[in-house]
Amino acid sequence: MTEHTAVLGSAPELTGRFVVLRPLAAGDAEITYGWRHSARARHLNASAGSVEDQRRWIVGRPGSEFNYVIALVNGPDIGMLSLINIDLANLRAESARFLIGDEAATQGTPAAVEAMKLLYELAFDRLGLERIYGTIEERNHLMIKWQKYLGMKEEGRLRRHYLMDGEFVDALALGLLADEYRKVSLPRMKALMSLGRAPVGGA
Amino acid sequence: MSAQSDRRDEVLAIVLDALESLNQELDEKDRVEIGPVTPLFGADAKLDSLSLVSVIVDVETALTIRWDAPISLTDDRAMSREVSPFDDVGTLTDYIAELLQEIAPV
Repeated sequence: MTEHTAVLGSAPELTGRFVVLRPLAAGDAEITYGWRHSARARHLNASAGSVEDQRRWIVGRPGSEFNYVIALVNGPDIGMLSLINIDLANLRAESARFLIGDEAATQGTPAAVEAMKLLYELAFDRLGLERIYGTIEERNHLMIKWQKYLGMKEEGRLRRHYLMDGEFVDALALGLLADEYRKVSLPRMKALMSLGRAPVGGA
Repeated sequence: MSAQSDRRDEVLAIVLDALESLNQELDEKDRVEIGPVTPLFGADAKLDSLSLVSVIVDVETALTIRWDAPISLTDDRAMSREVSPFDDVGTLTDYIAELLQEIAPV
């Protein structure tokens, strides 16, 4: 842990109307291993080779990361999301490992939008960061379109960034600044959330 | 057929094209059955938010090109309606036709 991450402490649980982000724990190894090996994860980089490897990976996460399981309010766990490389000296961090593993549970529900909104609130409002950035595999068109609609800007292309199934693939580098989050991301996130059906057992 | 009906058909085609494009990105088991009353977002919906945004972006882009005016489908007006424009293909088509009637009356 560096001096810049020492003040982070443990990941706080984040609660919204549709989803809860709860800190990833060793007990989540089996479900997250399953998600990471699903078809939906084909655009993410390589993951653990076994549930035990996944458990070791979870336990070994550094203090510069907040790793979360996304759960529906009063419902099942549906995915994962992380804020990594949190740098309080330069006020930046990377959003990463975003994956909805239980797609059927999120149909008609802005679960992914609210999960990202909760992460952005943590990053920009609570940690006071200036910049969130990330990379997306170039063929992950839906995610690229989604992130850009929610305010991220394309900042470059990382050539041959991933090696996937024996093939090198480019990644797009995206970034979001604090003022863009407030002017663009928040209104669009709120709009999309207003369209969603009420959560099971919720309002 | 009236000009308004022709326009609605044109808008419907744009919405259905956006769903066709979405299906090209989805695994076969996740593809959406496309038709004039396909549920979009909300109760009984088949789209998650990633898919919904794909449809919104593609439709907004096509409308902006066709009518040469920026059109937003997720502004306060859309969100404040009693019946969400995104309930299904029909409600979205009707909402867009209503917007177009204001910027380019027929």
